[in-house]
Amino acid sequence: MRLECEIEKIKNAINQVERITGKNLTLPVLSSILFTATGKSLKLRATNLSLGIEIEIPAKIEEEGVAAIHGSVLSGIFSNVIQNENVSIQGEEGNIIIKTKKSKIKLKGQLHDDFPTIPLVSGKEFEIDAKKLIDGIKSVYYSSSVSDIKPEISSVYIYSNEDNLVFVSTDSFRLAEKKVKIKNLEEIPGILIPFKNVPEILRVFGEISGEIKVCFNKNQISFSSNNTYLTSRVIDGVFPDYRQILPKESKTEAVVLKQDLLNALKLSNIFSDKFNQVNLSIRPKEKIFELSSQNNDVGENKTLLDAALTGEEVELGFNYKYFLDCFQSITTDSVSIKFNQASSPIVVSGVSDPSFLYLIMPMNR
Amino acid sequence: MDIKQLWKNCLVEIEAGVSKANFSTWFKNTSILKEEEGVIYVAVPNEFVRDWLKTKYHKLISKTIADGYETMRAVEYVITKIEPDRQESPKTNEVQINKELPLKDLYISPEDNLNPRYRFDSFIVGTFNELAYAASQAIIENPGTKYNPFFVYGSTGLGKTHLIQAVGNSIKEKYPNKKAHYMTLEKFATDFINSLQGNKANSFKEKYRKYDLLIIDDIQFIGKMEKIQEELFHTFNTFYESNKQIIFSSDKHPNHIPELADRLKSRFAAGMIVDVSEPEYESRLAILKVKLRELGIGLDQDILEYISSAIQGNIRELEGSLNTIVCQYRLKNRPLTLPEVKNLLKNNIRPKKNVAIKDVVKIVTNHYNLEEASVYEKTRRKEIVKARQVVMYILREDFNVSYPLIGQKLGGKDHTTVIHSYLKIKEDLKNDQQLVQELEQIRVMFK
Repeated sequence: MRLECEIEKIKNAINQVERITGKNLTLPVLSSILFTATGKSLKLRATNLSLGIEIEIPAKIEEEGVAAIHGSVLSGIFSNVIQNENVSIQGEEGNIIIKTKKSKIKLKGQLHDDFPTIPLVSGKEFEIDAKKLIDGIKSVYYSSSVSDIKPEISSVYIYSNEDNLVFVSTDSFRLAEKKVKIKNLEEIPGILIPFKNVPEILRVFGEISGEIKVCFNKNQISFSSNNTYLTSRVIDGVFPDYRQILPKESKTEAVVLKQDLLNALKLSNIFSDKFNQVNLSIRPKEKIFELSSQNNDVGENKTLLDAALTGEEVELGFNYKYFLDCFQSITTDSVSIKFNQASSPIVVSGVSDPSFLYLIMPMNR
Repeated sequence: MDIKQLWKNCLVEIEAGVSKANFSTWFKNTSILKEEEGVIYVAVPNEFVRDWLKTKYHKLISKTIADGYETMRAVEYVITKIEPDRQESPKTNEVQINKELPLKDLYISPEDNLNPRYRFDSFIVGTFNELAYAASQAIIENPGTKYNPFFVYGSTGLGKTHLIQAVGNSIKEKYPNKKAHYMTLEKFATDFINSLQGNKANSFKEKYRKYDLLIIDDIQFIGKMEKIQEELFHTFNTFYESNKQIIFSSDKHPNHIPELADRLKSRFAAGMIVDVSEPEYESRLAILKVKLRELGIGLDQDILEYISSAIQGNIRELEGSLNTIVCQYRLKNRPLTLPEVKNLLKNNIRPKKNVAIKDVVKIVTNHYNLEEASVYEKTRRKEIVKARQVVMYILREDFNVSYPLIGQKLGGKDHTTVIHSYLKIKEDLKNDQQLVQELEQIRVMFK
């Protein structure tokens, strides 16, 4: 193998794929990146057997070939080579030689025979704007369960509903749902992307603009843009029927400024106990929206907020962390909070933004 | 040869041929799923493993299996779900005070809507439903061609839903490529209305027409829905023409569904119409025994006999009574005695039907549009005689009132007159369809 390419391009590609190399796996070759030089391009491939990635970059190929190189070593090298010029990579008797104008590096290559293929997904396909996909996933994924006990909820659930692609996550204490409008959407019965793979998907496609082709079947999903192909295992399971617990109406509604609430919650946090409990008291007749928390060791605090209130009086406690989480997905300046009985979930959404919905279970103490 | 043992032997051989790292990465969590006509299906955990086994180790695997299993023709790889240990997580304090969202696991697959609990294994066949059972078996053998449509009717709680869903489940298993779908008429109707509102009539049509087997439950409510009838009619035709099976259930014979369009009536009749009647004593006993086996509880024979004789008719009520008893059994942690059971069930037993003779007269005369008093008069006007005879027949047949009492109450008739009327109607019913229907309608009023 002998080739030459731009440092900047290969550096980016290595950064992307290196994160997906297998760590702590019994098969050492999985911790390496596979270089395949053919035609006019160099392909970099890595997998941890849950995710697989392949990035193609243009290169001047003088001799075709394949090589496996340890991922973390490569990323270490390229993050310290700062010259902005071309780099030549050459395989020589099992070793890899990387040359730039000013440095020459010789690396021990690994046996690439054992490097596995990456599944090429065939099945239903649809195209989606990268920004929309990332927005959808990002708006909900923090709500998914981190434990492995119920794999179907430690995932991001994606399905189609008329013209919307709907993203949902829950850890059974709170739930986030984001709808993204897409024209001519095909029917998508429901895909469960493992939560652990989501940060990588966000990272790889976070910077990309343009369309992403998504292809999926019962076992696997793939995302591909111009030069990047990423595939992830999907979870074989059924997401809980969450739609039946979405409250259809509410007894009390409060509209507050997002920033006010955020500040008040942060203040309350100082006094919250080890369960992160913050109490909320709403008395529409007296026009009072009060957040309070107390901690026997620190003290207590009460904060009043300006709010537009309608409906009945409410008093309940909740975990402030769950509340804080959803603000990253609410883009509007004011937030609407809806309540029913003290035992049913609180519904949070941006005012006049029906695309995002967030449910929090109150604490029953 | 046992296929589990076969795979164990193979793994031992494969392990010798590949490096330890490769072996533990690629062959962990694999097994032989099944063997069918010489094809060995190897279960693998995900697509990464499947692809790699196919490209890299296929030869090795095939050869090793062939050595131990001569009739092998091919090896296929199938991705199977590995069930995680569903052990309850050790609950932290936080979990206890923080209530969970009342999310329910979806037990019923949203795609086919069939409840996997309804199977033929737990379906009791007796004289009351053997025809329906036989027909459904024939349908499973030849879906779409043998009896299409298949129409099951019978009153509530007799296992219609169980039967039709079991057909769906069986067909799903037998023909994995066929798409089955179960729904109630109500769902069909709401879907249709929603599609009209959203201006998506076409997507509605497409949605249903992609199925290979459509099961519609509780079709009797279609009576007043004219538009839905029309839509169902078209859906039906599409299914029928492409030899796709349709199954309906109803609590009435199609002829007795009020305001049902004739074109639908005749189409329902084109296939197979069977009724499910009430189970007789022996079947009830058998049903109880199966239920108990499912629950893993034994009850004395005399208690079972008592329940099956006391709770008549509806299987759902039978199950309900049994659940009450099982619940008590678990609570007390000892077998119940017969008097205890009697005491428990006293509210579940439907009182024997009692009815005032006056009420019967009122309903019957109402139906025939006559004055209530006319029945008691000594008149031989034809229409009144008929009404009077029907009253007598119903009193005798349905409410077991004695002949002399009937005679006495209906204007002092002799008991022989009553016997004559009773036999006459009974005889007429054999030939006169009109009369059968009239009685059917009258009886509905008593319920």
